[in-house]
Amino acid sequence: MAIGDNTKADLELTWEVRANCRQRYARGRRRSFLCFRWGQYADNTVRSYKYSLLTFLPLTLFEQFHRVANIYYLLIVVMQAIPAIASLRWYTNAIPLILVLTVRGLKDLATDLARRKSDSQINSRASDVLDSTSFCTVQWKDLCVGDVVRIHKDQPVPADLLLLCSSEEYSLCYVETADIDGETNLKYKQALSITHNELTSEPSEKSLADFDGVVWCEHPNNRLYAFRGHLRWHGEDHVLNNDHILLRGTVLRNTQVAYGLMIYAGADTKILRSCGKLRVKSTHVDRLLNKMVIGIFAFVLLTSLLMAVGHGAFESQVSRFIPALSALTVNGDPVYSAFLTFWSYIIVLNPLIPMALYISFDVIHVLHSLFINWDREMRWEKKDSPARARNTSLNEQLGQVGHLLSDKTGTLTQNHLLFRQCCIAGRVYGDASISVEETQQMDLSWNPFASGQLSMWAPELVQLLRARQCPIVSEFFTALALCHTVMPEQSKGALLYKASSPDEEALVGAARDLGWVFHSRRRDNLTLLELGVTREYQLLATLEFTSQRRRMSILVRDPEGGLKLYCKGADMVILERLQAGCPCLESTERALESFAQTCLRTLCVAVRCVPEELWECWSKVLTDAATMATGERDAVLEALHGDMESQLLLLGATAIEDRLQEGVPETIALLREAGLKIWVLTGDKTETAVNIGYFSKLLDPDTCLLGGQELREVLRSADPGYSASSSRQGNAWCVNMKTARAKTALVISGPELAEFVQEPGMGAKLIGLAAQCQSVLCCRVTPGQKADIVTLIRKYSSSITMAIGDGANDVNMIKTAHIGVGIAGVEGGQAVQNADFSLAQFRFLQRLLLVHGRWSYRRITFFVLFFIHKTCNFALVNIWFGFFNGFSAQSMYENWFIAMYTSLYTSIPIQLYAFFEQDVSAESSLKSPGLYRPGPLNRLFNPLTIAAMLAQTLFSSLVLFFIPYGVFHDSPLDYQTLAVTVSMADIFCVDAELLLLTRHWTVFNAVFLCIAFGFFFIVTRITQQPRLFQLAPADYFFVGVSENAFANPLVWLTALLAGVTAALPALFVFVFNVLLSRPDTHRVHSLAGPRPVELRSKVRRIDSGRRPSGVASRVSSKGAAPASGGPHPHPHHPRGLPLLGDRPTVDGSGIELNVPFIGRKLLPAIGKKPDHD
Amino acid sequence: MGKEAAKTGPLAHRPDNSAFMQQRLPAWSPMLTTSTVLPFMYCMAVLCLVVGVSLLITVQGTQEMKLDYTEAGTCNNCFQSLKNVSNAGKSCSCRVVFTLEHEFKGDVFFYYGLQNFHQNLRKYMDSRDDAQMVGRKQNLKNPSSYCEPYIRDEKDVPIAPCGAVANSMFNDSFALQYQGQPGDPINTVPLYRKGIAWYTDENVKFRNPHKNKSQTLAQVFEGTTSPPYWQKPVYLLDPLDATNNGFINEDLIVWMREAAFPNFKKLYGVLVRTQEPFTNGLPAGNYSIDIVYNFPVQYFKGRKQVVLSTVTWFGGQNRFLPIAYLVTSGLVFIIAIFLTVIWWKFGKDAKNMNE
Repeated sequence: MAIGDNTKADLELTWEVRANCRQRYARGRRRSFLCFRWGQYADNTVRSYKYSLLTFLPLTLFEQFHRVANIYYLLIVVMQAIPAIASLRWYTNAIPLILVLTVRGLKDLATDLARRKSDSQINSRASDVLDSTSFCTVQWKDLCVGDVVRIHKDQPVPADLLLLCSSEEYSLCYVETADIDGETNLKYKQALSITHNELTSEPSEKSLADFDGVVWCEHPNNRLYAFRGHLRWHGEDHVLNNDHILLRGTVLRNTQVAYGLMIYAGADTKILRSCGKLRVKSTHVDRLLNKMVIGIFAFVLLTSLLMAVGHGAFESQVSRFIPALSALTVNGDPVYSAFLTFWSYIIVLNPLIPMALYISFDVIHVLHSLFINWDREMRWEKKDSPARARNTSLNEQLGQVGHLLSDKTGTLTQNHLLFRQCCIAGRVYGDASISVEETQQMDLSWNPFASGQLSMWAPELVQLLRARQCPIVSEFFTALALCHTVMPEQSKGALLYKASSPDEEALVGAARDLGWVFHSRRRDNLTLLELGVTREYQLLATLEFTSQRRRMSILVRDPEGGLKLYCKGADMVILERLQAGCPCLESTERALESFAQTCLRTLCVAVRCVPEELWECWSKVLTDAATMATGERDAVLEALHGDMESQLLLLGATAIEDRLQEGVPETIALLREAGLKIWVLTGDKTETAVNIGYFSKLLDPDTCLLGGQELREVLRSADPGYSASSSRQGNAWCVNMKTARAKTALVISGPELAEFVQEPGMGAKLIGLAAQCQSVLCCRVTPGQKADIVTLIRKYSSSITMAIGDGANDVNMIKTAHIGVGIAGVEGGQAVQNADFSLAQFRFLQRLLLVHGRWSYRRITFFVLFFIHKTCNFALVNIWFGFFNGFSAQSMYENWFIAMYTSLYTSIPIQLYAFFEQDVSAESSLKSPGLYRPGPLNRLFNPLTIAAMLAQTLFSSLVLFFIPYGVFHDSPLDYQTLAVTVSMADIFCVDAELLLLTRHWTVFNAVFLCIAFGFFFIVTRITQQPRLFQLAPADYFFVGVSENAFANPLVWLTALLAGVTAALPALFVFVFNVLLSRPDTHRVHSLAGPRPVELRSKVRRIDSGRRPSGVASRVSSKGAAPASGGPHPHPHHPRGLPLLGDRPTVDGSGIELNVPFIGRKLLPAIGKKPDHD
Repeated sequence: MGKEAAKTGPLAHRPDNSAFMQQRLPAWSPMLTTSTVLPFMYCMAVLCLVVGVSLLITVQGTQEMKLDYTEAGTCNNCFQSLKNVSNAGKSCSCRVVFTLEHEFKGDVFFYYGLQNFHQNLRKYMDSRDDAQMVGRKQNLKNPSSYCEPYIRDEKDVPIAPCGAVANSMFNDSFALQYQGQPGDPINTVPLYRKGIAWYTDENVKFRNPHKNKSQTLAQVFEGTTSPPYWQKPVYLLDPLDATNNGFINEDLIVWMREAAFPNFKKLYGVLVRTQEPFTNGLPAGNYSIDIVYNFPVQYFKGRKQVVLSTVTWFGGQNRFLPIAYLVTSGLVFIIAIFLTVIWWKFGKDAKNMNE
């Protein structure tokens, strides 16, 4: 167990827990006030909430002012309180700031209240605790360290407990750890024999109350799988480890009652310690937006500076000579005046910094995430599991995914495994080419335990078994029934198996259906019912499965007293451990190959009769090894296990079908059409992976595979200057590369990958090559390598990566990718825990990306651009006005207008746009996946679009100022009328642009646009009405302006013209788009390009055929071994029937368009299982 | 009840099938095609054109006479004399003459215009106390700090009205005379000097401090002094009309409504059309204006004008707006043509490819 980087002090066993010593711990309870803490032991209350009544306001303000934008705005408000520079009144910025703070504060409050509620639910759960002599029921929050707790079957464990004893033999007890690691199989824990013996002998209350042991252990930590400590009792020390600990969050199963001593409570428990925070991922839009805001800020500073210089010049050149004005120059010093003007301009131009944008951004993200959660079409009816957006800040990135990295098992496939075929002693039973639905059910009525779900047709096997004619067949099924870690569970007379891997469940289940029933497991014996005869096997040792070993073995003593080792594992591993001259080896290998080509998962099963002497000697060494230091021990154990698992006798092989999930081929085809590069990363064999690739339409029937030695050559042969960008011109490995590569898939195996990753420069080449290929299959990769691949892609390509997986082995990959998606499937929750989005099925990915992602991307990018546009063209007018007012920082607008503009008049309609806009319906975006392409290419939000937007902003601000200027210049109309006119023009312009931008008018859009528009007139009239003026003449000095201005046709004509002319660029773009708009479908077709050119011998062509089982030729996957002699032509695989690949290439553009249709029509036929006999 | 049931059964996690949650809100997505948007563009161009042309015709019907009197006629003397700072307080009278070739029909507005005078500087605009001008007693004697540096004079007497805006009030006055032909009798052209400010300004924004029946306006303003540049106290601004004095003096109100740009004009009076020969407006002929020349402009190269103008429904003679409409119309038209060409060349292909 890895012990991380802990300090030494942490490792020392100084955490003392005395049993039945409640007062002591109740007193020493940890309390805290703000940042002060005292007391060592936490109580058992979960507090995930942050705020209390008193602390809410200070804390939330404190947190919010961590944001630079808020601090900045606060500074501006403070600056506005200084009369010398206050070009605007304080409320112009204070109102938006308060609004933003309030909205965010309320959001925090709401989430905090939700947390409080769930906390109190957990804290008030009931648990039995020993109170001097009897157990009484208390709430979880009242438990404390040192208490002895009683847990009943199916109850959750309230805190980290030392298991003292249980109702079962040897004080075993079983727990389910679904909440911790998502695994649903049962794990067993066992009490120390001393506590078992002493505490179960008498009536338990009495003995437990007298229990006065002291536990010394580590301080609370987050290592879920490690525990160090000892129990001092009756003057003796007993070593404790993880097997003696029941963790909070686990559930007691299969055990009537268990008693435990509380060691860590509440916040000290391992699960609470280990629930880390989600890594903050920021999106592309986020980053660009931040850069943009920084740019804007720099612009504000620079402009203010220039304007200040201008003001200084004006003061010294012009106003100095006007007696009426020169008195106004502060201290008579133009420089000082300019200095103050600098600050005044910062205040005037402040609306350029779109503070309200951030809060709107949050709100939009949350709503988009809710839309994902609410989407019924992404809910899996069967399991009632809807999609979940666990990270609410990545929505728009869903519309930009360029690389999809998918796990295979459980993600593409159902991970619902079916035992389809087996090969025993070289003979194959069952036929996997007949689909599951069409497989006849065998008559297994003779077996009371048969589940009726065996999807294999092999009557001859049943006959053999029942007749017990063939010992090797019996041995094969004995091995299946014994060699595993499955836990049987009796429920309502039926026998249920709880397995940590679905493979085991399938194998044990198959053995059961065929009469070799695994009945019960105790600590050291296993009971089988072999055709109704009970046989007990004594369990001597379990050699566990690890991903390095790729095999597991079990050493038993059979009822006859013989020692036997049963071993099952990956074919490669088992085959190299067989005894010499194993019969049927060749036929079994052949069977294995054919299994693999039918996309079946294979395992080999072998047996060894172990001589008694060997066992004695071996077990001795094993016991010795147990006391060694960790690192050393591992090596010794490895060798020991290797010793034992040698000289095996091959029994046969199993073939398990892992069926594709519903809709996977369609989804993959769609995503490929949408331009995604799909990489499948799997731990499986190359053949299996390739076949799954064809089935799932990851590979077209005529796709060439490039792998092994050839791949290495292609990568090496490239000229030294080869880089991802120059690779287009690339090397000479085939005739018409570009098109050929579009029809090529890379197949990389784990060891090769490790090689490429290590070799400098190779990574970039690999990614560059992969970018041109259709798809990539990575086989036999470890979890670590999965993450490495993601890192590699992130490093050498700019595209957004999305990783999707379902198991614990995908967690690394999910965390590393820009977006991680967890499949909430069979393998439990760990992937989901770490993912940003969770889905029930792979097929929902199409909707997540093509519908939600695409919409989010469009909505958010347009929202951001528009938002900045509207605030900028509103604020830039002040600069133009500066040229006519001596750069004196006179604002163009009324203070109230500035205060309301971003918050009231314009923000709601654009926000609603970002909520509801649908440029095309969900159905059409699924129908034409080509519409997704602009996202990954980042067409909508990049420096170019930002520049275009800024140019448009510049134009409209100029128009918004200079048209009114032309009218008001040399006229009797005053400044305040001008202010109202420009405001009106602003509103007209923004609303006109909104009209053009919105293509999907819901009632809300229309109503709120009207309301916002009306608000401008209403609020303007209200703030300029006499009564308010009489109350506060200094704040409402625009009295009567709107009354006169709104009655003046000149004002209307000017504002209308300015507004409309300012919106002309938007109109131009709008009309331009309408003119050139065409459903992108045809582009998708035309992208398919010309037919691939026949590749020379360098790359073997995969012949596609009507028989899917014959689809794949073998790609040399065992590293360089078979091809070490350099490049040599490989013969075509003899079995494949050439079909598409050998069709005559038709030239001419007319045919060109039809190519994908050929593919599309044929693919379903190939994807389906053919039904020939 | 439905809610309770929904939270337990096998469908516990089923989201509501509401239009909002499923993003299926009924919505109108305009199906826009070339045949709708291009005509729209042309329509817009035509609309702008129509508005522009009709405005232009309207504007052409107005008449305007501008007369720069800064150095014109005998006013040159005053201009020169004001160059000497010591003469700043002295009143100077002068006369300018002009001829109207055509009759000005209808209402004629008399404006004075200033060029190069920045009434829109921030500190200048802020330098006023609306609370004082609305007649608040406490503000009369304690003007706001915004009025800096014209809050109090050297003797610490509060200034009323305070601030730079009021201080710099335009204080030339005009008397317009008409003489049809040389030798004809000289008629004084009557002007309405009241009703030239906004109603809201006269009745809300500017009020004199409350006075008792027994008090005179001068007594109300006792304890204040007039702005340093003023020649008359605020309560004697209009010697002819007692009700036009104090803060509600209309010239003061008009001045206090700051202009947006450095070149501006402000209304001085409106022709009274009750007596001959002015019932139809201003007849053609010779005119003269007697000017009391006080306002100094020479420091900042400013110019002073009088403007006589007839007005239309959308204000005085303003050619910019109609032309701007025509320009926009042209712009839209060009864009429309450009887009049509684009569509003709590329858009049609796209359409074909669709089919």
